[in-house]
Amino acid sequence: MDSREEAIYNRSLAAMALVGFLSFLLLSAYRKPLDFLPFYGAIAFLTVVFVGYFFTGWILANSDKFLLLLSSFLAQLGLIMLCRINPELFKRQVIFFAIGVAFFILVSFFTKYLLRLELAPFFYWVATAALLILPLLFGVEKGGAKNWLVFDGFTFQPSELAKITFAFYLAGALKNGRITSLPRMATEILAVVGLLALSKDLGGAMLFYFTALIVIFVATSRADILAVGGGLSAILGVLGYYLFDHVKVRIEAWLNPWQDVPGRGYQIAQSLFAIAEGGYFGTGLGLGRPDFIPAVATDFIFSAFAEEFGFLGAAAVVLMYFLLVYRGIRIALRLQKNFDILLAVGHTVMFGMQIFTIIGGVIKLIPVTGVTLPFMSYGGSSMVMSFASLGVLNGLWQRALEDEDDDEA
Amino acid sequence: MYELLAQVMKFLLIGLIYYFLYNFLKLMVLDLYEERRSSDETDYCLRCEDGREFPIRRVTTIGRAKDSDIVIDDPYLSSKHAMIYRRGKRLIIQDLKSTNGTYINGRRIKKPVALKEKDVITMGSRKFTFLRREARGLERGSDL
Repeated sequence: MDSREEAIYNRSLAAMALVGFLSFLLLSAYRKPLDFLPFYGAIAFLTVVFVGYFFTGWILANSDKFLLLLSSFLAQLGLIMLCRINPELFKRQVIFFAIGVAFFILVSFFTKYLLRLELAPFFYWVATAALLILPLLFGVEKGGAKNWLVFDGFTFQPSELAKITFAFYLAGALKNGRITSLPRMATEILAVVGLLALSKDLGGAMLFYFTALIVIFVATSRADILAVGGGLSAILGVLGYYLFDHVKVRIEAWLNPWQDVPGRGYQIAQSLFAIAEGGYFGTGLGLGRPDFIPAVATDFIFSAFAEEFGFLGAAAVVLMYFLLVYRGIRIALRLQKNFDILLAVGHTVMFGMQIFTIIGGVIKLIPVTGVTLPFMSYGGSSMVMSFASLGVLNGLWQRALEDEDDDEA
Repeated sequence: MYELLAQVMKFLLIGLIYYFLYNFLKLMVLDLYEERRSSDETDYCLRCEDGREFPIRRVTTIGRAKDSDIVIDDPYLSSKHAMIYRRGKRLIIQDLKSTNGTYINGRRIKKPVALKEKDVITMGSRKFTFLRREARGLERGSDL
């Protein structure tokens, strides 16, 4: 690798370690009596980052360090907030992070070598649908959406894994640059979206729907499908508003949270108060009151972060997510085969949509829907599967470089 | 005591976060710079039978349409006839479903094909030779 790039990576790694040490030392002093748990957690976290960073560099010569470092930094910021909100969740999240990095490496490896065998898109569709049906049959309800599977003592959200299989399905179905059968494709996509809506995971339904739309547009460059799809989404939205009570509640809370602050509008009102409280530089770590916001550790972690790190910190986070999406698109541009390109685009769009949906939700740009903020929110499935998606992107990047080398030879 | 520490620390942390961000933005700029330097111009050109030469860029479209990169006014060409684009180090030609087809060394192409030096591309009634641009100076010298 370029020595200049290497130097930049090393500097950012140092900055990251410094942010970690400083904030976790501060958090150690936050609770009385002095408790070094946050600090040990930080050491464990940074060890995983360093080991992951050098190990990927060692086994995959051209591993994309950009993705791993940026996502680890975001995970670190999320961990700082989690540790401040709830140390119990923090401990578990560090473990999830370690598993996530392991998945990143594994999946990069698999994507690099095994993806050459392309299964039929229908297979991926069946896998996606199965993953979404399972929680409907055996799942438990958590936070209003029935999308959790419980094995003894350990819960798993299959819709997170479905995101990956769905991206594979889209890439496989569209790899010839055109839709072989529009009615069939529309039915398959709407079935998946319908299953998500049945489990009351509306954020997920929206995410899958728009990802499918954008990937179809990228593959076929047909503006008519995009327009029809957009119109259809508006119709579905209006239908949802009248058919489902919880959609109505969400939308009313979005249009005017001040109407019913102690009730429906409570969460979003608290989130807005928290963000307002932060100002430019934030209240300072540990000095805000993010615990007033319901679900602050999962969906609303961004408002907690905005409160304590201020507008500047929150803007930095948004920019980092932009960079992540930028990198995904760059990988897509360097690839050669349609399947690979669409796969990279699918994963990147899924990320971008998810980030937009939840950050837009907590700042009241769009109605709140319960999706997680990748890397920052508390949640094992989300963390591990986000890293797995990055692993796919990294594996595709390896192949892009490999193919270019072949061309030179 | 803790409050004071946290107040001081918040500026430090924001500074460090932005330093990290700055480094990554710099990486992005490096990426883009490299992309631009290696992309826009390629070392190849198409030479028409009448001696005109068209440089090939990263994506070059050929056709009758006025917004093509290489505009050729020939009734046998489609308005968007073919496209040459770079993939990695190769240049690939793709027929854009033209009516009369695109031929490489006399063979009609259906799928995108990688170009080799001195390939003869036939579109409509026109013939083009795919050449390296460094070779251009030499040939012109020999013409004189």
